[in-house]
Amino acid sequence: MAGMTAVVRAEGLTKYYGKRRGLEDLDLEIQPGEIFGYLGPNGSGKTTTIRLMLDVIRPTRGTVSVLGTGSREAAVRARIGYLPGELALEGREKARDYLEFLGKVRGGVPAGRIGALAERLDADLGVPMGKLSKGNKQKVGLIQAFMHEPEFLILDEPTSGLDPLVQQEFLTMLREVRASGRTVLMSSHVLAEVEHVSDRVGIVRAGRLVAVENVSALREKAVRRVELHFDAPVPAEAFDGLPGVRDLRVAGASVRCTIDGRPDALIKTAARFTVVHLVSEEPDLEEIFLTYYSDEGRHDDRQDVA
Amino acid sequence: MIAKTLRDYRRALIGWTIGISAFMGLYLAVYGSVKENPEVYGPQAMAKFPGALKDLMGGMEDFTSGAGYLQSVVYQLFVPFLFLACAMLIANRALAQPEEDGTLELVVTLPIDRKRLVLERFAALVIGLGAVAAMTLLVTWGLAETMEMGVPFDRILAAHTGVLLVGLFFGAVTLAVGAATGRKGPAMAVTGVWAVLGYVVVTVGRSVDAIAWLKWLSPFHYYASGQPLQQGLPVGEYLVLTGAAAVLALTAVLAFDRRDVGV
Repeated sequence: MAGMTAVVRAEGLTKYYGKRRGLEDLDLEIQPGEIFGYLGPNGSGKTTTIRLMLDVIRPTRGTVSVLGTGSREAAVRARIGYLPGELALEGREKARDYLEFLGKVRGGVPAGRIGALAERLDADLGVPMGKLSKGNKQKVGLIQAFMHEPEFLILDEPTSGLDPLVQQEFLTMLREVRASGRTVLMSSHVLAEVEHVSDRVGIVRAGRLVAVENVSALREKAVRRVELHFDAPVPAEAFDGLPGVRDLRVAGASVRCTIDGRPDALIKTAARFTVVHLVSEEPDLEEIFLTYYSDEGRHDDRQDVA
Repeated sequence: MIAKTLRDYRRALIGWTIGISAFMGLYLAVYGSVKENPEVYGPQAMAKFPGALKDLMGGMEDFTSGAGYLQSVVYQLFVPFLFLACAMLIANRALAQPEEDGTLELVVTLPIDRKRLVLERFAALVIGLGAVAAMTLLVTWGLAETMEMGVPFDRILAAHTGVLLVGLFFGAVTLAVGAATGRKGPAMAVTGVWAVLGYVVVTVGRSVDAIAWLKWLSPFHYYASGQPLQQGLPVGEYLVLTGAAAVLALTAVLAFDRRDVGV
């Protein structure tokens, strides 16, 4: 049964804070074993969705089930690891003591796990929590989310405040989670943060899920800048009107353009001449991401949403 | 969870115990000179005080006997309000303050039912306040014996129990408002206003017919009207206070269970 049931199933999930829209009519399924990237600018409804899944807030309409049970069941939360978007850690208590307390309440944290994770992330757990730097707080947050090896990890903006080296280690930890068949929902306002680890991304804007895409499909749609250099000047007409080629600029022996999707037609045309140099930028998923926004979001009333 | 909560409160509880004990020490030490100079503090001297002020201090009819002094100076106004302040601050640390700080987010996503969370935090309040009461009771009794005030232990115990119950009642008020609103400001405002008005109604307001009936809403009525120091444990009145605190705690449980946290 565990293999078949969706880890998250949201149906018509809607949340209003008074008259203010937080999330509107969300239908979403996340399957076991996938890493789902949840994208949107700050205030678009990502955190609202996550907090509804965890029963911190209650839906205005619609339902959401997590790991096969309703979100109201307290027991299911032992099988979830959660990193809040705005993690607050206060007081004189040492981070290690707090982590041990959380571990005891949730269960399933073997001795030594906290120390091992702290070592991987280079976190100092001997400091009172109120005195931790932002980066160190985030590390403590990651440790508590990962330490009981939960079936489902919900990470709200996990990389904020982490230095690049720790980010790499975090991505390695995510890949280990995927390798062991567990599921991750991770939110971000920057696509570049999630595109390398996510199987699918959902894009949310002004409280609405506007697209759910496979990352590979997204990459296929990606906008890519290409620069070709030839051994002699080439005729501009040869490159005119090629499918998928935009912003064409032919100057002497060089051709610059932008391609949507596959570069096939351009390559075949270029092959008729002698290519001495080729520059192709990594597909900029950010750009597609923004395209979604400008297309689907244009008619949206710009409400202030959380 | 209760143990962890108490550990979090530990510093505050120790601080309040020391503070209240120091207050007791300071005021009971003065009793020596009161006893030796009854003419200075006797009825004639007290007559010079404005009536309203005397009312506010619970009458001050008997200032020179041990029980009278203990009642007027310690158990009438100051110690109940010190307990009340302690209870209010501790009760706010249960839900409202961590909710405002954002630290409640991780706690409510633990696999603990919200109802149980509130009940355990209330239990920690009861135990913590009980510990402060027990320690300060011993200090008061010790001081009363040293100063030869002639008040038996069971009377001090009766008065001290009342103080604990008043504190617990207002702690439950704070907890309930904090659980319903998630904000410590309103919780402290409701508690403070209820406490001050409740106290005024049973002292100055006693003689004003228009508001005298309000005493039924004042916890101080159930605390002081039985005169625990003079008459011993007023069981019925204290049961009312206990029951009211329980009802308020239950209100807190239900209010918190049905609410969005941290919005």
